[in-house]
Amino acid sequence: MNEKIRIAGVFKSFKSRRNEESVAVEDINLTVQTNEFVTLVGRSGCGKTTLLNMMAGLLRPTDGSILIDDQPVDGPGPDRGMVFQHSALFPWLTTAGNIEFGPKNQGVPKAKRREIAQELIELVRLKGFENKYPRELSGGMQQRVAIARALATDPEILLMDEPFGALDELTRSEMQSELLRIWQARTKTVIFVTHSISEAIFLSDRVIILSPHPGRIRKEVVIDLPRPRQLASQEFLQYYEEIQSAIF
Amino acid sequence: MRFSNLTPTGIASRLIDLLIGIVTLVAIGALWEYLVQNGHLNPYFFPPPTEIADELEKITTVGFPRGVTIFSHIQATVLRILKGYAMAAVLGIPIGLFVGSRQFLDRAVMPVVTFARSVATISLLPLMVAWFGVGELSRVLLVFYGCFWVIMTNSAFAVKTIHPQYIQAAETLGASKTQIFFQVMLPASLPRIFSGMKVALGLAFLYIVAVELINAEEGLGSLIWEARTFYRSDTMMVGLFMLSIFGFALAQGLDLLEKVLLPWAESLEEIER
Repeated sequence: MNEKIRIAGVFKSFKSRRNEESVAVEDINLTVQTNEFVTLVGRSGCGKTTLLNMMAGLLRPTDGSILIDDQPVDGPGPDRGMVFQHSALFPWLTTAGNIEFGPKNQGVPKAKRREIAQELIELVRLKGFENKYPRELSGGMQQRVAIARALATDPEILLMDEPFGALDELTRSEMQSELLRIWQARTKTVIFVTHSISEAIFLSDRVIILSPHPGRIRKEVVIDLPRPRQLASQEFLQYYEEIQSAIF
Repeated sequence: MRFSNLTPTGIASRLIDLLIGIVTLVAIGALWEYLVQNGHLNPYFFPPPTEIADELEKITTVGFPRGVTIFSHIQATVLRILKGYAMAAVLGIPIGLFVGSRQFLDRAVMPVVTFARSVATISLLPLMVAWFGVGELSRVLLVFYGCFWVIMTNSAFAVKTIHPQYIQAAETLGASKTQIFFQVMLPASLPRIFSGMKVALGLAFLYIVAVELINAEEGLGSLIWEARTFYRSDTMMVGLFMLSIFGFALAQGLDLLEKVLLPWAESLEEIER
């Protein structure tokens, strides 16, 4: 496997209005392999979203470097698809319109982007909902559209910021299985942010545990279990305890 | 799923609402007529519906003043409104979007805007007349002035309050600044721009009537004012009803336009004035 993302000595601090500096993340070092599924877990304030936004290029590190394929990140780009917690779908576009947004602005011709959208709509199982607006869709369906939209530019990396955090428990576990299916169908490098330990174990190859104030990497746990994983299995629970004790 | 007002039951319930509204209006009219015919109300101050209808017929055929029919009055008023209002929209929307999307400009311009729109529009009429004469121009410009600030500030506010995640999402999808402006910021602003336009339309009617009351020969406002000189409350009522009918029709037209152009938007409840 090749190295896809290298985060070296990254610091990020924010200035408040009164010019007080607060450190969001401190001395983060992390490498992610191509097609690896890595999850960042930790309590609120541990900087996991900040770290994700820096990989997306929406924020710049105060110090240190983030390399993707050995190139420093310079702003957001369609090579890194992003899925937000509250889908952030464009309410004025239909399902198909949202999915075609990326390709359209890259200058992909109409027929070709129709084809891309059709394929993705089938992948995320939303056939028949092509012409619905986001507000006509349920929360789970909206996140399916958001995933399809992020995949439409065919990025090699998928950045996901608590994408299932606002969903109910049943929809959430359904979406987790769906994500694994999509990930296996499209082979992407995934960085996934979550609050949920079981979600992290269920999904990832590797779990990175961050501690808050300032955000630091506290521990890394490689999940060495075949998929699909059984939530109630002995090994699952052992991982759960290991991660939980690292968080608290 | 959530477009409940377009389902068959939704349409039926709206029809029932409409019916109830019509029945109520007819009942009030009938009561009014009854009270006047039986001497409970003075017909001189409260001309009954039948008399107002007669008067409308007279103004339609003979005119009031003689030769100036109701159609000329309506045309004069509606044209003034549409001219001033269209000018306000054509200038107010782009200027508002431009100002709102630049933080520095927004800070620099907003105090001036707040002052300018706090000026009671009607009080500018003498100044407008001094600058532009007593003709159509000063009337239209007054409507323009009253509408412009509302449309412009709502457009500026619309851009300012766009959720940053829409912009971020567009950036991660590789959209350029221009693409983001036209494909994200503009559509995201439209619902609030529309609510500004609706408030401005109501104001346009308010100002044009005031202007016509003070200075004009034709127009529904001047019809009402002229009628006062002859103590003709039935004529005043005709002018009043015409104003509300056309005010209502234009507002409905704007609502319809919004539904057609923005099928995705939920109607905004809160409105900036």
